[in-house]
Amino acid sequence: MYPAVIESYVAPKTVQEALNALAAHGDDAHFIAGGQSLMQAIKSRLVSPKCLVDLQHVAELKGVWSDDGGLRIGAMTRYREIATAVPLAGAYEALRDAASHVGDRQVRNRGTIGGSLCWNYLAACTPAACIGIGASVELLDSKGKRRTLSAEEFLRGPLETARQHDEILLSVLLPRAAVKTGSAYKKWGLVTDALPVVGVCALVELAEDGRCRRARLAVGGLASGPRRATAGEERLAGLKPSDAEGIGAAADAAAAATDVQSDMWADQNYRKTLIAALAREVIATAFARAG
Amino acid sequence: MNRTVSITINGEVYEESVPIRMLLVDFIRDVCGLTGTHVACTYEGVCGACTVHLDGEAVKACLMLAVQADEHSVTTIEGLAPDGDLHPLQKSFNDHHALQCGFCTAGILMNAAEFLKVNRNPTEAEIRAALVGNLCRCTGYAHIVDAIKDAAGRNA
Repeated sequence: MYPAVIESYVAPKTVQEALNALAAHGDDAHFIAGGQSLMQAIKSRLVSPKCLVDLQHVAELKGVWSDDGGLRIGAMTRYREIATAVPLAGAYEALRDAASHVGDRQVRNRGTIGGSLCWNYLAACTPAACIGIGASVELLDSKGKRRTLSAEEFLRGPLETARQHDEILLSVLLPRAAVKTGSAYKKWGLVTDALPVVGVCALVELAEDGRCRRARLAVGGLASGPRRATAGEERLAGLKPSDAEGIGAAADAAAAATDVQSDMWADQNYRKTLIAALAREVIATAFARAG
Repeated sequence: MNRTVSITINGEVYEESVPIRMLLVDFIRDVCGLTGTHVACTYEGVCGACTVHLDGEAVKACLMLAVQADEHSVTTIEGLAPDGDLHPLQKSFNDHHALQCGFCTAGILMNAAEFLKVNRNPTEAEIRAALVGNLCRCTGYAHIVDAIKDAAGRNA
C-alpha cells in the first residue's frame, strides 16, 4: 500500500491558519493529526486528499488543563500523554485505560485523541470511552462559530461524525466530577492490545451513603457506532459497590439491550457475552476508583 | 508535487526535494541510503521493522510522510551507536542470541532503546507489552525479552 499523489501539504502554526488552509483547498483537503489511522486510509484509497493540513505544530491544540467548565484535553494530545495524565485519575481514568492500550507504543507516541474521535473507527477505544465518561467536544468553524456537542451527538456510525468539513475539533471537555466518581474502560481483542472486538466503559458516581447515584455505560465495536447502554445504567442506580449480583444484572441488561452484529471475530451471542463480562469488570473497577 | 524538506538524521542534515506522498521510511532508505531501517509489512504499520526515533521517540516511519518530519530530528539504527561502541541493547542482543534472521532487529532495538529511557527497570510483563508493535517471526520473543531485561540492568 502506498499513498496516491498528494498535491499540497501545509503545516499551520495556529488554529486560524489551519482553518484558513482547509478552506482555501476546499473539499479535497484533509486535516491530519497523528496520522496513525489516516495514513493507512490514504494508502488504501479510502480517502484521497489532494491537500493535507498537518496539525502537528498547532500548540493551542495540545495538553490537558482545567478551566471553568472542567477538564479540557486538546485535540492534538497524544495517547502517550493521556495514558499517564494525572488529572484524569479516578473520575476519568477510563480514558487512561483506553489510551494506554491503543495499538502499540509507537502508535501511542503519535496518535491523538482528536484524530481518533474525528475518525470514529468502528474498532476504536477513545470514542466509546468518551461517551461513557460523558465527554463533550468543542468545534470551531472557519467563520469563527464555536459549538459544543456531547460525544454522543458528535459520534455517529463508524467513520461518521457531526463535524462539518470546515470545522476543526479543538478540545474534549470533561465536566467537573463529583468527589466520589470513578470510571474504567476495557476492551477485548484477538491478541494483546489488538483493535477492540468489543470495548466497554463505565462511570459511577457515589452518593453520601456510598450507593450509586449516577452511572453511565457505553459500548464500542458496534456496527452502529459507539453507543450508550442505558438499560444497564438504570440498573446501577442505588446499588452498593459490594452488590456483585446487582452489578451482574446491570451488565447483563446492558448486553441484552445492545444491538450487536456478527462478524468474523465474534458472532452476536459471543459479542453479548463479551459485553456482559467486560461490563461486570469495568463497573467493579469504576466503583473501586470512586470510593 | 514536490516539497523541499530539511531532516536531520543521525546528526546529519538532509535537505532534499521529495514528493509529498513519500513515506519517511523511503526517504531514510532510498534518498539517504540508510538501509538499516527495514520494511517488512509493505507499509501497513503492523510490523514495527521501520521503527526510528523522531525527536527521541519511537515511531513507525511507514506511518508518516517525509514532509511531516521536516525540521525534525530522526535517529535510525545507524545512529544508535554513534561512536562505534555497541549500544548496551546491541551487546545484550548478541549475548542472548536475540535474533535469528535479523530482519526485525533494527526496529526492535530502536523501540526498546526509547522504552528503556522511559522505564529504566521494567518488569517482564512491561517489556512484553512494549514489544506489541514489533513482529518477530523466528525467535519466539523469549530471547528478545531476556536481552532487553539484561540491557536494562546494564543501564541502557
